[in-house]
Amino acid sequence: MTELLPQWLLSWLGEDWSAVLAYITNGKHLAWYASLQYTLIAAFVGAALALLFGLMGAAMKQARLAPLRWIGNGYTTLVRGVPDVLFLLFFPLAFEQAVEWAIAQAVCTPEQLATATGWPLCADAQWYLSHAAYMTMACVSFGLVYGAFAANVIHGALQAVPKGQLEAAQAFGLSQRQVFWRIQVRQMWVYALPGLSNVWMLLLKATSLLSLLQIEDIVVWADRLGAPNYLAMVGAVHGDWRWKYYLVLFLFYILMTLLSEKGFNWLQARASRGMARAN
Amino acid sequence: MDALLNNDIIQDIILLAKPALFNIYFALAAIPLGFPFAIILALGKNSKNSLLSHLSAAYVYAFRGSPLFIQFFMFYSIALVLNKPLWKPLGIDEFMLHPLFLGPLVLVLNTSAYAAEIFYGALRAIPKGEVEAARAMGMNKWHEFRTVTWPNMIRLAWPAYTNEVVFLFHATALVYFTLPVINDQKDLMNKAGELFEQDYNVFLHFSVAALYFLAISMVIFWVFNRIYQRLTQHLRQDAKKMAFKPNYLR
Repeated sequence: MTELLPQWLLSWLGEDWSAVLAYITNGKHLAWYASLQYTLIAAFVGAALALLFGLMGAAMKQARLAPLRWIGNGYTTLVRGVPDVLFLLFFPLAFEQAVEWAIAQAVCTPEQLATATGWPLCADAQWYLSHAAYMTMACVSFGLVYGAFAANVIHGALQAVPKGQLEAAQAFGLSQRQVFWRIQVRQMWVYALPGLSNVWMLLLKATSLLSLLQIEDIVVWADRLGAPNYLAMVGAVHGDWRWKYYLVLFLFYILMTLLSEKGFNWLQARASRGMARAN
Repeated sequence: MDALLNNDIIQDIILLAKPALFNIYFALAAIPLGFPFAIILALGKNSKNSLLSHLSAAYVYAFRGSPLFIQFFMFYSIALVLNKPLWKPLGIDEFMLHPLFLGPLVLVLNTSAYAAEIFYGALRAIPKGEVEAARAMGMNKWHEFRTVTWPNMIRLAWPAYTNEVVFLFHATALVYFTLPVINDQKDLMNKAGELFEQDYNVFLHFSVAALYFLAISMVIFWVFNRIYQRLTQHLRQDAKKMAFKPNYLR
């Protein structure tokens, strides 16, 4: 990559810094920077799904029908009661098996199904997942786990919308659905934002777990690049540099947190326009 | 009796009992060190000395702002690099690189940042009147801390701290994803994964592991609630009972 730079810049940098620049822009490092996309996709798609599941969960938690309420409460309690990593690993495995079971019912012969001991039930029922499929499942996993967190935040925010406004809307002849969507949901954001900001931070930090879900993310690449490197032609290139790469990731996540905080402060200021403030 | 023992779930509960001890060990090792460290950090962040408060605030921000998963990897790789120049000559390499030492160490560093933020919030919420009263009585700094600041801080922070301890316990699941597993020293997630690879029964093994996490979380809530009851004995009339209602946010 350094050959793209003008000569004066290289001579100004000096040989050592040019070498460093050349090293951190070599093919493997570029692949590392490119793998950042998985972290960002998982964070944003996961957050969008978490918001969706959160809204659904919160709506269920305040449903009139008791079984719906139980599902909503069960969902949030269950996910919160176990470590996020357990659920993140469980969902893709369970989903994969469910699909493979369904395939098995269609393609395996009855004898195979009856005598199967291992998994998949017959060789044809194996589902070979692509990287994109793993990525999709990872996003849904994140959505499910942090959706439970978001559901609780949104549930609290929905309750914080002044009752008088809902009653007023009802008195104006709006239907249940209209009151929910046009008054309650539209008003709750300002109450939900601080909590949702916290959920986003948790989700952002959890994206470091992508490597456990078969994704070649920034953590996998950092480990690869930092591992002691030996080339037959030149001997040892470098020793164990993993700590440097993990330090970069450590700082990267702190920077992301800082940026998110700024973003949410801006959003909060925007959302509270026209709201009465105590100070 | 035999039928009971042959039940898959019972079998799994027995198999996962020993691995659960590793998770419990990590939490039990991290809490007694993390608690005082968190209080020192919180007092540091609240101190008038700007260097001290900035340093503590930066520490808290860094450890709350980055994933524990990365922190584990980072400290393990740092410990590996220091092995040759430091641990080996001192003859403590086995010890310093052992997950049973390194795991709790990183957990302490991490949980104390989260807990420090909780205690810092509590410090800021201490009733001004009580502090003024202590000063009007002519108490010295230490006396004031012991009679006003400390009890108020602990009482205000306790419910949130309980939540943090449960989070810490859940975080112990990450130790063996990042540090080497030595021999048969496996925690709940390791063992559940190993059992899964034997018979691919993801629902059974992961559910039982989840059951362990859930049950131990309940025990933590129960113990911490008992302590909270003691802390708020004099406020009995209006003290709300702490229910098993975990907070969702760390």
